[in-house]
Amino acid sequence: MIQFFRGAVSCVFLLLFCFVSPLHLVAAEGQEYIAIRKEGSGNIALVLDKLDAKGRKETNFAQSLDVTMRDGLDFTRLFSLISPPLNVKDNSDRKNIVINFPALTSVGAEVYAGGVVTMKSDMIILDMKVYEAAGSKLLMNKTYSGTEADLRSIGHAFCADIVQLLTGKRSVFGSRIVFVSNKTGFKEIYECEFDGYGVKPLTNSRSICMNPALSPDGKHLAYIDFISGRPTLYIRSLTGGRIAAVGKSAVSIDPGWRNNNEVAATLSFDGNQEIYLVNTDGTLSRRVTNSKSIDISPTFSPDGSKMAFVSSRNGLPQLFIQDLASGQVKRLTFSGRYNTQPSWSPVGDKIVYTTWEKGGEINIFTINADGSGLMQLTQKSGENKSPSWSPDGEMIVFTSNCQGKEKLYVMSSKGGNERLLLQVDGEQTQPSWSLFR
Amino acid sequence: MNAMKPLLRSLFIPTMLFLGACGCCEKVVAPPPAAPPPPPAPVIVLPGLGDVFYDFDRSELREEAVVQLKTNANWMAANAARNVIIEGHCDERGTSEYNLALGQRRANSARDYVINLGVDAARLKTVSYGEEKPFVLGHTEEAWAQNRRAHFVAE
Repeated sequence: MIQFFRGAVSCVFLLLFCFVSPLHLVAAEGQEYIAIRKEGSGNIALVLDKLDAKGRKETNFAQSLDVTMRDGLDFTRLFSLISPPLNVKDNSDRKNIVINFPALTSVGAEVYAGGVVTMKSDMIILDMKVYEAAGSKLLMNKTYSGTEADLRSIGHAFCADIVQLLTGKRSVFGSRIVFVSNKTGFKEIYECEFDGYGVKPLTNSRSICMNPALSPDGKHLAYIDFISGRPTLYIRSLTGGRIAAVGKSAVSIDPGWRNNNEVAATLSFDGNQEIYLVNTDGTLSRRVTNSKSIDISPTFSPDGSKMAFVSSRNGLPQLFIQDLASGQVKRLTFSGRYNTQPSWSPVGDKIVYTTWEKGGEINIFTINADGSGLMQLTQKSGENKSPSWSPDGEMIVFTSNCQGKEKLYVMSSKGGNERLLLQVDGEQTQPSWSLFR
Repeated sequence: MNAMKPLLRSLFIPTMLFLGACGCCEKVVAPPPAAPPPPPAPVIVLPGLGDVFYDFDRSELREEAVVQLKTNANWMAANAARNVIIEGHCDERGTSEYNLALGQRRANSARDYVINLGVDAARLKTVSYGEEKPFVLGHTEEAWAQNRRAHFVAE
């Protein structure tokens, strides 16, 4: 009886939904979807259709979401966004929208995404459907909702889902970038979203702040501040506001997170510059390096078992890799006289770093952790510094003075597709991309 | 006519010498000038603290740096109440994290040398500014050489 009742209720709801829902997308035909794409087979040809909405408010939100989603998908450089053909939708029966799949394939679209914006009290509801153009198969049907303040995250949640659906990988949506800017006349730390949106200051020390790095879970920020008169490592809890100062009696340099609980940095309280692991409360965990030379800029393999770093133990600075369990150290770089600023890819075995070339240029390279596969990513564009990977390993944020002042740029992890990340006053340096998103 | 030349020469040279000697005598016998202003009160000026400079990517002391550090150690001996901060600086080239490390090694090399000369280590502090506070703005070797320094600041 209860079972029957439930069934009846859901039937009624379904019927109601069909009548109440203003316009909803229906695939004209259904076929098997083949989502297998070859690695490097080029961009996905996507028609992101204008969102449907009734009412003034709904239409405004739909337009805003259109822009967010288009810019978001464009940022990934995974898609060729094709304008929808004029006859892409047929709603002549005034109830259902019928998608004209032949028209989509004729303009070369592989995938079609469209949706409807409605409102329920103050909540904005976005219903999105994604179809394969050639087979007209429904690939995804998902509802997103939130308040007006959540518009960007609603749009980016859809972007994240469609990237995951079509590539099998999580993209950059929701991630943040911390960096240094001197726009107030002092070097302070700021953060922004992955696409440069929403720049916010994180420090106001009116001193010199350097080398910000977010813990993998985003709960802590490690950075160097000269406010005490010396470059000192600070670990700030971004949830509780607690700040731990480390190594106040000497110089601290360039922190890098090993996991959520341990950050490594160069400390010199015992007279020599060595890399130590430090807990988030500022207490020392253990010493990692032991050499009389400069050892700086620790960066860890995704599993935390290996550390790449810069050392001058052979003369000019070169990259080395240390196995944390055995303590064994191997030199990584042999080409380039001055190699610094390593950053280990969060998704694999590649390390990105910079080489100061004889002509004065500084260029960005990647190399495999075993020393193979050296690749140059920038050239003939001045000084390119401080590379940091996106959490999906597909992009690199870095500083370049290619147009005079130092500004933040983003490029593909294989080089190319370079673009300015943000347009703010002063010089921006030392970007670090979060692992969380 | 030819016979006259040696005669003239023999007369000319002694004459000139005589005149010259008279000139010297004139100066000696000249009346003394107006009384000079009273000399300033005597002050013993010790050479002050000075900066030392380094080669590219080096923190080893050059010869003239050693001379300057001896002067600095003497100043500290004469000014026993003053403590000193030694700041390590680098030129703008290269990368900032490495320069922060290099600046510290420069400050340390200068500190270690004056400690060896007998200065109490407790009177010395070191800090590195790396490439953050250049003394000379400019992108020439001249500017860079000025910026690769250990800067002595008396507290």
